[in-house]
Amino acid sequence: MDIRILRPSDIPHVQQANLTNLPENYFCKYYLYHALSWPQLSYVAVDVSRPQKSPYDPPKIVGYVLAKMEEEPTDGVQHGHITSLSVMRTHRRLGLAEKMMRQSQRAMAETYDAQYVSLHVRVSNAAALGLYRDTLGFNVEKIEAKYYADGEDAYSMRMDLNNLRRPVLDDSASEGEAEDEGGPVGSAGKKGDGPAAGKDKLRKVKVGRALGVGNLVERVEGSKAA
Amino acid sequence: MPQPLSHKENTLFRSVVKFYEAKQYKKGIKASDQILKKNPNHGDTQAMRALIMNAQGNTDEAFALAKTALRNDMKSHICWHVYGILYRAVKNLEEAIKAYKAALRLDPESAQIQRDLAFLLVQVRDYPGYIQLRRQMLQARPSARQNWTGLAVALHLSGDLAAAEDILNTYEGTLKRAPPKTDLEHSEALLYKNTIIAEQGDIERALEHLEKIFKHNLDRTGVMELKAKYLLELGRLDEAKKAYEELLERNNDYRDYYFGLEKSLGLDRSDPGSLDGLKQMYKTYAESGERVDAPQRIPLDFLQGDEFREAAEAYVRRWLARGIPSTFANIKALYGDETKRQAFQDIVHKFTSEIESGTQSSVDADAKAKGRLRSAMLYFIAQHYDYRLTRDLRKAMDFIDKAIEQDPEFVNLTMTKARIYKHYGDIAKAAETMNSARELDERDRYINTKCAKYQLRNDENENALTTMSKFTRNETVGGPLGDLHDMQCMWYITEDGESYLRQGHLSLALKRFKAISDIFDVWEEDQFDFHGFSLRKGLIRSYIDLIHWEDRLRDHPFYASAAISAIAIYITIADNPHLAQANGVPKDLDTMDAGERKKALKKAKKEQEKLEAERVDREKKAAAKKAGTGGDGEAKKEDTDPLGLKLVQTPEPLEEAQKLLTPLLLLTPKSMDAQNIGFEVFIRKRKYLLAMKALVAAHKLDPEHATLHEQLIRMRRTLDDLPAPLSAPTAAVMKEVSTILPASDSLASFNDAFLAKHKDSVTHVQSALRVRALLDPTSKMQNEKALVATLELPSITMKDAQGALSILSEWKSDAVVRQGYAEAASKKWPESTVFSPK
Repeated sequence: MDIRILRPSDIPHVQQANLTNLPENYFCKYYLYHALSWPQLSYVAVDVSRPQKSPYDPPKIVGYVLAKMEEEPTDGVQHGHITSLSVMRTHRRLGLAEKMMRQSQRAMAETYDAQYVSLHVRVSNAAALGLYRDTLGFNVEKIEAKYYADGEDAYSMRMDLNNLRRPVLDDSASEGEAEDEGGPVGSAGKKGDGPAAGKDKLRKVKVGRALGVGNLVERVEGSKAA
Repeated sequence: MPQPLSHKENTLFRSVVKFYEAKQYKKGIKASDQILKKNPNHGDTQAMRALIMNAQGNTDEAFALAKTALRNDMKSHICWHVYGILYRAVKNLEEAIKAYKAALRLDPESAQIQRDLAFLLVQVRDYPGYIQLRRQMLQARPSARQNWTGLAVALHLSGDLAAAEDILNTYEGTLKRAPPKTDLEHSEALLYKNTIIAEQGDIERALEHLEKIFKHNLDRTGVMELKAKYLLELGRLDEAKKAYEELLERNNDYRDYYFGLEKSLGLDRSDPGSLDGLKQMYKTYAESGERVDAPQRIPLDFLQGDEFREAAEAYVRRWLARGIPSTFANIKALYGDETKRQAFQDIVHKFTSEIESGTQSSVDADAKAKGRLRSAMLYFIAQHYDYRLTRDLRKAMDFIDKAIEQDPEFVNLTMTKARIYKHYGDIAKAAETMNSARELDERDRYINTKCAKYQLRNDENENALTTMSKFTRNETVGGPLGDLHDMQCMWYITEDGESYLRQGHLSLALKRFKAISDIFDVWEEDQFDFHGFSLRKGLIRSYIDLIHWEDRLRDHPFYASAAISAIAIYITIADNPHLAQANGVPKDLDTMDAGERKKALKKAKKEQEKLEAERVDREKKAAAKKAGTGGDGEAKKEDTDPLGLKLVQTPEPLEEAQKLLTPLLLLTPKSMDAQNIGFEVFIRKRKYLLAMKALVAAHKLDPEHATLHEQLIRMRRTLDDLPAPLSAPTAAVMKEVSTILPASDSLASFNDAFLAKHKDSVTHVQSALRVRALLDPTSKMQNEKALVATLELPSITMKDAQGALSILSEWKSDAVVRQGYAEAASKKWPESTVFSPK
């Protein structure tokens, strides 16, 4: 399995992996928004050894981490955020989730000078919690009640990146036999968390093709006519 | 000329614009009415009013009013601008561009119009137009960096790399002092320029430039990868080696880096002399840590013989000892090589006897580790025997049952058991078993997804949707299915379509395949906002990647498979228009006797009425819930043709097929399926040269291809039998390109030779028999016999046999013959359910 940067052309299969593994799903455009806003931060795990069936076979994506920088951090501190991470069940426990996470975290620190990275995980998801807390070293910051659309609570977790902010990094020192289930991690912005989506939506992230990307991020520069 | 308004009305007009921008549409309409009361023909006001009406969803009225506005005031840039916006909103980009160009002629300085037009031009890839406009925009506002970058991007995309670089250099030259090191936009711009230099082929200069910006660039991985690549391309191997080593220190799970290092070390896998070097290189990395996989796994690709055997066994054992269930997934690609496959057979035999004697683990391992290893080993063996190239389903089932016995809660095991049933052809049992696997972990969407897929394969469409609904947003308009469409869940939509197709529901199948094509349209549209967004952010490299991806968007198998299936349906409808009239008609309708036929049609009609009733019911419920919203939060209209009836009843099925076909042939010309289906469309449209072109392309891919063989003969017969001769120029070209066709007077012997040559390949024999049936209708019984005989060929698959059954239907063979074939197939694959009617 290769671990490498996510490219726009990977998105159909990243989206498919997400739809296969997790209940929190996004339009193609939301993946594009990540890939074009923070092109260094999202990673994929690719099964490179599968025999080609046609000259047009896309790379077989078996896992991904979709990551971003918080655009208007409420605490004023530059930090990254994991939007979504999952690994196909057929490829779990190979350590893929951990490897992708480490690459993404380093890029957050190197490129954006991120001081920490945050994420949300379902309180019932023991495997993912294990990965973040025990393998990677995240701390539980707080519990966000009813964070998910189905009413489940989330652990809001974060991990300090200060040791990565120097250019040199010792990555191979990752300790022993931590279990890495690569289990699903749902995060922000289940489809339709846009402002118009209704009162049962729980998150502030705006998603969707109805909104221009401009609206997703900045105010539209000008407005029409006259 | 724009008509002057009084002062008061001018103020009102400005407020109309403001109301529009603030989305206060009702107020906007009211204010515009006030103006129009006094000035009923005021074009600008009418245009603004049209714009608001469009925003309210009244597109048709909006267009009508916008046209009136233009008639009243042809010289108003506002009227033209609005006209452009309306066309843009209905995705008619060509007309939008015309309107915007007219607006810009009237108001050449408008930055807003320039910008909107620019995005349209790049969206349709009108690079000359885009470059010209970008130049204007740069001249108007040279102080903004994005205007320089914008022109450079336009030049770059058009292929004028040197000019693009010039523009970037000129801008850099205007910078009085270098931006701070933390300026990401600048850092990215430098790297963008670097890639333009390299793209021109001047790697030397690219490296020189890269070294200048290397230290402070914020994208470390990016610059390090480029540096290593350039050094290698320049043959500066020592430095390249160092650069790749540094990359591997950061990420030791990326083959590109290892391959780069191999080359830097002068190692060549095809040269036996390199073997020791290769082994040494990977050994160094393999020893760097327990959890590193790539340097352990990659040598299995190049090692041979005993060395391979040892390394492979050690590799597998190491993973199994840790109880990693994904081990088989990691090595199965090696099975493509016959001697390696044999080595794994031996390893599996060894494992088997260890399992049987209970010695699979060293004596000092604790009971837990022993159990873990045994379980992982059993699972590995089962997967080995289930794999296509080493298949022995009885053994696979035996081992998976043992594994399940030891570890009944582990989802993957029951999942694999379902897979084994599928390979037996017992798709009902497969679906049932996958559902048991799902029940072991109802919170895991992966297994839920698998279960739905297996249900669809067993044509349980409703059950599958119920399964999916456990993880979808069911309050969306259209329920779970609507949500799956909103979320662009391609695999489900495609599988659902394939299932309806198997059941003869042409309209529903077509509906699904068309939905896939629609999602690709959305994906194409998705890039639009990034034309501006990426320039504002100054992140150009990923934007260029996006554009290149969008340019070949529809080469994706998701598109190809849905498009080919949809085209096949359109062809069926073109050939049998009556099939479009009723949904759920069995495909073998033509072979039925009158009584059966009446029954089938009646059943189909009933089915359709039932579906229609359900739809009405759903509509009522939806209406009761008042206006629903889609997943994207925008108000969503109820689908007025949920069954695809209007879709399938198109008066021009071949034109619809053509629309789907064009991108296929453009983007996937090396796909045999695309060329084959292309021929079928063109021959029906009497586009003989294009049909011939598809044959020539297919012939280049595989001159012996079974479908091509049939098509060659059909083409010859078509040309021999034209109602009117081809025009002289067409005939001349045809003569030149049709040399691959068999001669008119030797079709039968051509076919016989093909049959003799490929007598062991089922698909080829099937093709030849179909051709014989076509050439000589009296050969029917002989062909049927020969088709039945293919069941004895060692290479025959269940899929081939299913194909044979449809050929028998096509020949309108007797029910006795068809039944006889199905029974013989059932006997050959006793576990299979696909040959016995449900």
